[in-house]
Amino acid sequence: MRYERVRAVSTEFAMQIDPSYELIGARNVRVEIGGKLILDEINLKIGVGERVAIVGANGAGKTSLLRALSGTLPVADGEVILCTEPLGGLSRATIACSIAVVGADLVLPFATRADELVALGRLPHGRGPSGPTAHDRERAAAALERVGASHLAARDVRTLSAGEKQLIAIALGLAQETPILALDEPTVHLDLKHRVEIADLLVSLADRARTVVAIFHEIDMVRQLFPRVILMKSGRIVADGSPESVLTAARIADAWGIPQERAARL
Amino acid sequence: MTPPRLLVGGALLLSGVAVLAIGFGSVAIAPGDVISILARQLFGVDVPPFIQSAGATSIVMELRLPRILAAILVGAALAVAGGAFQSLLRNPLADPYVLGTSSGAALGAAIAILLPIGGVAWELGGVQLAAFLGALASVALVWRVAGIGSGEERIASVLLVGYAVASLLAAALSLVMLASGANLRAIFSFLLGGLDGATWPRLAAAALPLIAATTLLALRGRALAGFLLGDEAAQHLGVDVRRERRIAVALASLATAAAVALAGLIGFVGLVVPHLVRLAVGPDPRAVLPLSAIGGALLLLLADTIARSIGVPVGVITALIGAPFLLWLLHRARTGYAL
Repeated sequence: MRYERVRAVSTEFAMQIDPSYELIGARNVRVEIGGKLILDEINLKIGVGERVAIVGANGAGKTSLLRALSGTLPVADGEVILCTEPLGGLSRATIACSIAVVGADLVLPFATRADELVALGRLPHGRGPSGPTAHDRERAAAALERVGASHLAARDVRTLSAGEKQLIAIALGLAQETPILALDEPTVHLDLKHRVEIADLLVSLADRARTVVAIFHEIDMVRQLFPRVILMKSGRIVADGSPESVLTAARIADAWGIPQERAARL
Repeated sequence: MTPPRLLVGGALLLSGVAVLAIGFGSVAIAPGDVISILARQLFGVDVPPFIQSAGATSIVMELRLPRILAAILVGAALAVAGGAFQSLLRNPLADPYVLGTSSGAALGAAIAILLPIGGVAWELGGVQLAAFLGALASVALVWRVAGIGSGEERIASVLLVGYAVASLLAAALSLVMLASGANLRAIFSFLLGGLDGATWPRLAAAALPLIAATTLLALRGRALAGFLLGDEAAQHLGVDVRRERRIAVALASLATAAAVALAGLIGFVGLVVPHLVRLAVGPDPRAVLPLSAIGGALLLLLADTIARSIGVPVGVITALIGAPFLLWLLHRARTGYAL
């Protein structure tokens, strides 16, 4: 068995027996790009089966936080933990077996069937020059079914609507079969119907085997659906806890720079 | 059909076409005789019909076989390199020459043609060597300026730097051609591309980089598959983006440089073949690259056979066959599967 597979099995086992298992951790993380401070004093711990929303104004560092936690943004100082291990020592393939990151947009250079695209989620689980195996195709089909998009399997992803694309992107993340599913603004550009669909899907996806971390702009939706909210401002975490404690009028007014009496009506 | 079956079927088809192509020419040799001669000369096996005149043997082994092998290797290299660049740069218009290889090779060859050097060794492959070095030099320049493998490069800037370097080298080539006088025809014939010069010694010199780079690149589809969704997504799918980009660019450039050195500038194969393959099996490079190798070999072999029968540069034929075929396929492409 491959190391990644062994690790995935042992991770799954550890998650089941240890209630304090640390899936994601950050200790005094600081990130700089070209001398500019992007993230500072980031401390957090996310456990098994949590449903976490990251909110904040544009430029607050939400996407950078997700990138630092998934190892695509190098940290200048501090330490990121992924499945109890320091992220710095893990290979890209190992990271990809622990955390799936669903990006904000699917842009493809060539015509690509939805099922072909979702099968790419199996890349970190394989090795060598051969294409997707029967097992890979089966997992991809299962992921498409899980998001309710089986009927789109044979469609060219480039011809799908924004809502359909988002479902395919989530299926791609699910096909990676990781304990953590991270999403960058999964409901952006979507109409109300698709927003509700995606939000309900995310709620149903978080369980004992999968933690969901997502960046959101719609704080009304976050309030209803996410038991834990991380509020960011200027590259720092300013509040972390239940929606009632984090999304107060005073904090919202401060984080987004709007008058407090206006924030109270959100 | 699944990609592995297509690969086997394509390889069988290619072998059959190769036998027919060897037999085709001013002296026609029957396919059975060709197989018999090849089996005897290459493997020491006697296969009926056993009729092996010295003349036919010499035509097959000395004249046609090196040229047919060169067409297969060059076609495969250009198609695989083109497919790899298209995936890597996420651009359907990318071809093997996207990093300035063609202009670099042409300038190198033109300078070599003008240099007052003689001697047997130079006649054998001086121009080819200069073309090879010119191609690599232009890639090295683009690599350095665009910062490939630094982790900071942007796809658009790689393409633009490649275009700028190619334009600069093309301008230098024009100056060299203006100053070339009587040698203009020799330079022009290199620019048109062709396999007339594919002799055993030249093939042997180019074979190692051609075969090694093409094979290794065709087997790196897993890493290139991640690039379909962009660099960031590739990382999230477990691809070491910096490392894989360096490897893919190096292998694709090496294959292209060796192909250009052996056959001059042959267009269209590297652009169109990967697209034809994608229409059949989808965009996953794990299927596209190996099948492009077969497809590129097949297209160039057919084109070169036509080219030598009517005495036209092979590059003209690849475009004449390839372009209408692509347009026809685009018209009848399966629903929702346009390029």
